[in-house]
Amino acid sequence: MPFFSGEKRKPRAGFFKFSCCTGCGFELAYFQRSLEDTLKSFDFTFFRLAYSSGALEGPFDLALVEGTVTEPHQAVELKRIRENSAVLYAVGSCAIAGGIPAIKAGGRELEIEKRVYQKKLYRLTSMRPSVLSDYVKVDGCVRGCPPGRRDLEEALVSILLHRRPEFIEYSVCVECKLRGNICLLVDEGLPCMGPVTNAGCGALCPACHRACYSCFGLMSRANIPALKNKFRELGLSGEEIERRFTLFDALRLKK
Amino acid sequence: MNGENTFQKNYEALISRELLAAWVEGFKENFRLIGPAGGKGEAEFREVFSFNEINLDYQSTMLPPGKTFLLKPVEEILSFNITPGGPVAEEPPLPDRKRILFGVHACDTHAILYLDKVFLGVFPDPFYRARRENTFIFSLNCKTVSGLCFCHLVGTGPFLKAQSGYDVLLTDMGSEFLVELKSVRAKKIFSLEGRPPEGRDLEKKKELELELLKNFRKDFKADGLREVFLSRPDHPVLKETAEGRCLSCGNCVMVCPTCFCHDIYDEAGVSLARIKRMRRWDACQDYFFAKVHGGNFREERQARLRQFVFHKLDYEGQFGVKGTVGCGRCIRWCPTGIDLTEIAKEMMK
Ligand code: SF4
Ligand code: SF4
Ligand code: SF4
Ligand code: SF4
Repeated sequence: MPFFSGEKRKPRAGFFKFSCCTGCGFELAYFQRSLEDTLKSFDFTFFRLAYSSGALEGPFDLALVEGTVTEPHQAVELKRIRENSAVLYAVGSCAIAGGIPAIKAGGRELEIEKRVYQKKLYRLTSMRPSVLSDYVKVDGCVRGCPPGRRDLEEALVSILLHRRPEFIEYSVCVECKLRGNICLLVDEGLPCMGPVTNAGCGALCPACHRACYSCFGLMSRANIPALKNKFRELGLSGEEIERRFTLFDALRLKK
Repeated sequence: MNGENTFQKNYEALISRELLAAWVEGFKENFRLIGPAGGKGEAEFREVFSFNEINLDYQSTMLPPGKTFLLKPVEEILSFNITPGGPVAEEPPLPDRKRILFGVHACDTHAILYLDKVFLGVFPDPFYRARRENTFIFSLNCKTVSGLCFCHLVGTGPFLKAQSGYDVLLTDMGSEFLVELKSVRAKKIFSLEGRPPEGRDLEKKKELELELLKNFRKDFKADGLREVFLSRPDHPVLKETAEGRCLSCGNCVMVCPTCFCHDIYDEAGVSLARIKRMRRWDACQDYFFAKVHGGNFREERQARLRQFVFHKLDYEGQFGVKGTVGCGRCIRWCPTGIDLTEIAKEMMK
């Protein structure tokens, strides 16, 4: 295995989870054709979905972290993971952009808690959501909700080959065209988020005749005002537009 | 004189739609037939199994036929097997299926001639070449014109004038089709039976073209753009359009029949047993397209938009012809309707 030259041992990896649906972890655990190879090539010393026991301490050659930080103890844990890991990749929209757990970022913490839990709110330790990079340095982003197979594989292979990963960074439209889908935005006037959304899903929704809702998160340098204008022209209300843009990216877009 | 005339006539004939159908059906045994099919929404080029599936009246398709079938959207061009003795490279077999690309409009035929300059030029691409050699191109003169077409301004249509680089030219003359065998290989392997065209038929063909020319809406001056582009590369229309409307989504260049840019990258499975080297269409409108060691040479959105507009309307120094063939696809499929001819017009003011 061409891991660190001279070293015979397998790279040690950990998969960690904060506030999220665990979909990314499942994606790795059900990494169909590659699960066996993955477990053969890596020493997963911490991966709750695959092994019931495991050492949190590290050190790790690779830390894969899913989820949004919404509790104080998670911030502490994240810092510890970072200090014990050579490489840390944020996995999934929650960890990278805030994703679904960050929808609450649009309002005041206490008011939102009231709407959900009504009473004894002082017992909740939940706080304003943060992405991993608010707390620690992140070495790469495996985008998706959950991530596509290609970028997950790239994350693992980059460690095995000891090189910088090359994650997908272009719009969903590019994949949509490679697939030959007739454009829903142009042809049918559906409010598709594809032009500003990072690819990686293979333009799954447009291929099923659904407008992209940006679950992979915004691509970097997206022209947000230009697409909002387009949606306005299509007749969407201001609120409908806000909802589309803040479903997965509330943290970045709502201050 | 007479003999020569008879000889010539075999290469051009007027045949009925039924005979054309039977003629094309006859090729199915030896050729995979690809043509414009469907028509309720948008026609698309795909493999067809009977002539009836072909939509002879289609106006345009989202993806261009040449780029889609000669330079595939994504393809494996090499692989390495990692063995105990070291990596062993393996080249995928060259495509050898004989195909007919049927119903290619004039602009799209010119686009193929443009791709030829790129992929059969100084460094011929073996995959493109194999597909090109195995593909017979049946061009079809247009019957209708869309509001976005501007082939008439760049010399690529609506009737095909190029004399080589494709195999057969078809013109819908109303009750009959004019079929012209153009390439040496077409003349060799296809035989044509039908009424030889007379003077009045060729007259009629000219009239059809003149009629069609009246329907174009687009109007801009393609000549003299070079000076304007060079003297005003920072014209405010570029910045205004880029910042105000361009999404950097890449749709324009993906659907462009002459955009030849592609990315080459490796795909390795976790087992590292086999590494595939892939090629896929790339888009210069992506932010990361121009990112190289040390920085990004098209950091700003307007620089990326300018690259597209200039490469299509100028850059004749590269291959001796303009990058655009006037098909209007980039305008049609741009989510915000950015129109390179409008940008050019604004710059020329
Ligand atoms: S359907 Fe959506 S993702 Fe596909 S090209 Fe159109 S805008 Fe882009
Ligand atoms: S919503 Fe968009 S980004 Fe998410 S899977 Fe569907 S197409 Fe992909
Ligand atoms: S299709 Fe339109 S919005 Fe998208 S990159 Fe091209 S010019 Fe910009
Ligand atoms: S316009 Fe862009 S994508 Fe198209 S050929 Fe030129 S550089 Fe390549």
